[in-house]
Amino acid sequence: MTGALLEPAEKRARAEIGRVERRSLGTVSADAAAEFARAAGETSPRLVDPAHPAFTVHPMYLVSLLRGAPGADPEEYRPDGMYRDEVPGTDGLDVRLMAGGQDVRFLGEARPGERIEVRRVLESVERKGKGAGFLLLTVVKTYASERGPLAEVTERFIVR
Amino acid sequence: MEYVPDEITLLRFGAVTRNAHRIHYDTAFARSEGLDGPVVMAQLHGCLFHRAAAAYAGETGEVLSVGWQNRAPAYAGDRLVVSGVVESVDEETGHITLALEEHRFPDGEGPGTLCCRGHAVVAVRSSDAQSSK
Repeated sequence: MTGALLEPAEKRARAEIGRVERRSLGTVSADAAAEFARAAGETSPRLVDPAHPAFTVHPMYLVSLLRGAPGADPEEYRPDGMYRDEVPGTDGLDVRLMAGGQDVRFLGEARPGERIEVRRVLESVERKGKGAGFLLLTVVKTYASERGPLAEVTERFIVR
Repeated sequence: MEYVPDEITLLRFGAVTRNAHRIHYDTAFARSEGLDGPVVMAQLHGCLFHRAAAAYAGETGEVLSVGWQNRAPAYAGDRLVVSGVVESVDEETGHITLALEEHRFPDGEGPGTLCCRGHAVVAVRSSDAQSSK
């Protein structure tokens, strides 16, 4: 069923290649970063205790945040629970979405209280596999605070 | 480096990363997508790769980059093991590239199934580098 929807998804995604999108991820919360570290299995007080004098935001925290803004309306989510523009070109289409992996380059340390903005560009759309196959979307993201860039990410999504 | 993320772990991780994708907590939905049950988030795999690289780099070292590709799903309750080898050393910078793999062990033991393959680049500033399982 979803194979027939790959064509409109591909067409839409291709139309978005190269378009620059910017979105605020809000303010870095030490408590949220510590909760993230705990859920990731970390035990170091530097990562899980915001009161520790050497506390640091887990380097993977920012790049693990999805795009659904806190307070988003229910209709902003797809029936599968994904935020509607998490994967370019798929808003409103009954396609299956999977994360394919990331390449993360760390450029700086996020600090509690900083406002974070992410810049996203869809770099490529490829049709892979046999038959209807699947789409492989590659996006490039840059996370930055007022101090400058903090991380660059190349992320891949699979659309079936 | 080992970790066993259970259903509670996945819910906590999903909540704090704003990840509401139903394949991570809704068993019936996950099965409708051809999966055996709720799956571990890609970002959590990345965290495990980062942790393995950070352990290798030691307390005074630094993880400069990390990357991974998902090869097969891992499920809540699986024992996940990240292992790695030194792939190369940059003669100019001294930066070390690690080749990393993550395997899942559904029953805790057995041969394991490859879930993710990737790499990390670390800077090691002293003799802190640790052998990585």
